[in-house]
Amino acid sequence: MEEKYLVCEDSLEGIFTGIYDAYALREGHEHIHIQIGEETNYRLFADYRYISPDFVKTDKVAGTLKKRLGENVYYDICRAAASYNKEEKGDAIYRTVVDGITGGSGRRVMENLRNPYVARTFELARYTANEAHYEIEFLRFEELEQGILYAVIGPKNSVIPFVMPHFADRLSIENFIIHDEKHGLFGVHAAKKEWYLVSEPEGFTDKRLKRSKGEEQYRALFTIFHKTTGIMERENKRLQRQMCPIRYQEYMMEFDQK
Amino acid sequence: MEIRLSPKMSVMDKLKILAEGAKYDVSCSSSGSSRANDGRGIGNTVAAGLCHSFAADGRCVSLLKILFTNECIYDCKYCINRSSNDVPRVSFTPDEVCDLTMEFYRRNYIEGLFLSSGILYSPNDTMELLCETLHKLRTVHRFQGYIHVKAIPGADPALIQRAGYLADRMSVNLEMATADGLKAMAPNKHRRNILKPMRLIQNGIAENRNELVLYKHAPRFCEAGQSTQMVVGALPESDYQIMSVAENLYNKFSLKRVYYSAFVNVNGDQDLPAPAQGAPLLREHRLYQADWLLRFYYFRVEELLTADRPNFNMAIDPKADWAVRHLDLFPVEINRADYQLLLRIPGVGVKSARRIVAARRFGNLTFEDLKRIGVVLKRALYFITCGGKMMYPTKMEEGYIVRNLTYQNQMGRGEKLPFMTDGTVYRQMSLFDMGSMRGFR
Repeated sequence: MEEKYLVCEDSLEGIFTGIYDAYALREGHEHIHIQIGEETNYRLFADYRYISPDFVKTDKVAGTLKKRLGENVYYDICRAAASYNKEEKGDAIYRTVVDGITGGSGRRVMENLRNPYVARTFELARYTANEAHYEIEFLRFEELEQGILYAVIGPKNSVIPFVMPHFADRLSIENFIIHDEKHGLFGVHAAKKEWYLVSEPEGFTDKRLKRSKGEEQYRALFTIFHKTTGIMERENKRLQRQMCPIRYQEYMMEFDQK
Repeated sequence: MEIRLSPKMSVMDKLKILAEGAKYDVSCSSSGSSRANDGRGIGNTVAAGLCHSFAADGRCVSLLKILFTNECIYDCKYCINRSSNDVPRVSFTPDEVCDLTMEFYRRNYIEGLFLSSGILYSPNDTMELLCETLHKLRTVHRFQGYIHVKAIPGADPALIQRAGYLADRMSVNLEMATADGLKAMAPNKHRRNILKPMRLIQNGIAENRNELVLYKHAPRFCEAGQSTQMVVGALPESDYQIMSVAENLYNKFSLKRVYYSAFVNVNGDQDLPAPAQGAPLLREHRLYQADWLLRFYYFRVEELLTADRPNFNMAIDPKADWAVRHLDLFPVEINRADYQLLLRIPGVGVKSARRIVAARRFGNLTFEDLKRIGVVLKRALYFITCGGKMMYPTKMEEGYIVRNLTYQNQMGRGEKLPFMTDGTVYRQMSLFDMGSMRGFR
């Protein structure tokens, strides 16, 4: 039988719409593939279909996943969908869903690591979760003139949706913005309100933002503290790099690299 | 009360001196406490704890770890702030500590405050100052993040109790594994005075737990439990002595953590060792490995060490060392063995063991599956079978396996030590403490 490639947009909506359409074909799942973004290297004898994201279908898929596989699996799938890995995530998620719903693994599907696609989804979701965890630990807010807290991050996976709930709880009475400069996305939180996402406007630059008066002093104080608290007799830069990789250090003022 | 202890000094200079004085305290974890924000102040706590930075020695920076004052009436040999040392003496004011904590916390530099102190005038005076500071932080500034505070040995029980209601975790440092050791090193401290507040905190936590059953909104007492620390390598104690003390502390005092601190001779004291190769970091690393075996792997100290074999093998880790001495129990069949036995296999950790138990419901596991699950096969392969077969034909012989494990070490492919020659990991591993998926997986 001919292989069918459903070409989807790189977003949760794109992937879920693809899954909906794959099921709608009613041809079994063996020969259907979900691919993210344009193909550059077309296969012979394969059928390519372009799927545009559809919010009704997305909602239906999300509802079914939550109901049949449970919230935990659903969030793992969302994390995998936020992965940087465009080549693999589409098929991995699709086949994990198939294993869970059609294959009968149900709520335990993420434990079925014998299935290589489930194992892949598991890995991608873990990578996103771990990176979100790193950003929760390592991102640094600066106080702007108006008292707003502002942080810039550059993660590989699109982690803002998984980072915002943590800070929205912790800093509930603060106004803050987290800017993901790699994915062009802002997470915005106004004091005592719900947080939301905004995509970066064309030509945005944060050069014009002015820091508050006290900002420089607290940066200096923490930098001194950070330097002092290390024990010289035990210096171990390799361990430091392993625990706090350079790509995060670049965004942290106590390391003074950016 | 007006306190003027030192000449006026900038906060920057004070911070330098008082962070310097506090840094030899190992504990920096912010784990064990889980509290949502109430919408009226800033802060919450995360059960797994968070590390906000890493210092040049690779240890995590989670809390603003400072002394309230480095004035001290005691003269402990190992301590940089001992009364006989000629170092500049300064104190923070409660307001300065509050301001630093709040502003650092807002910017996501820290997870909370770790407040320790030298003994100013008397244990009671000192404990009162600590309480006053914490009280201000919790009530005036409505800080809801993590607070770790030292219980000062010898302070009034009422003061310690008061601190317990303000803090998430408290600690009293045992310092030396033996009472005689403590006497030699810290002439003003007594084992009795250290164990007393420890027991007090333990009872406080137990009572509080009962209260919480009855009254859901009763104030929390030391929600994240208590910890302590022992200096390693200053006196000739054996690993067996140290680990036995640790086991007792876990069992009899319900401690959350015991920390081990490789001795650094900060005072250049003639009576104390100053090893040429630096602090005994590898030994410290082995102690931490064994500590994990006690807390998460169901090992007992007697299984790891005995009076005849009182020290850990420096060449291989304690778990592998145990396994090669009990080859009659191996190889273990991965598809059959129960969880506790899986945990005893070198190369299988808590997470892999859990994943194995969950995944084998779906069918038999192969070596390929184990690799995906995260088992370290190059270590595990001597001890396991999948479907009755070993990965490669190997001799079940102690010498052969040890040679192979250590040969890999020499080739840099074996046990991953967190240092080139010596050193150790300090990331809090509290992810095992709880099932929460908030942290790393």
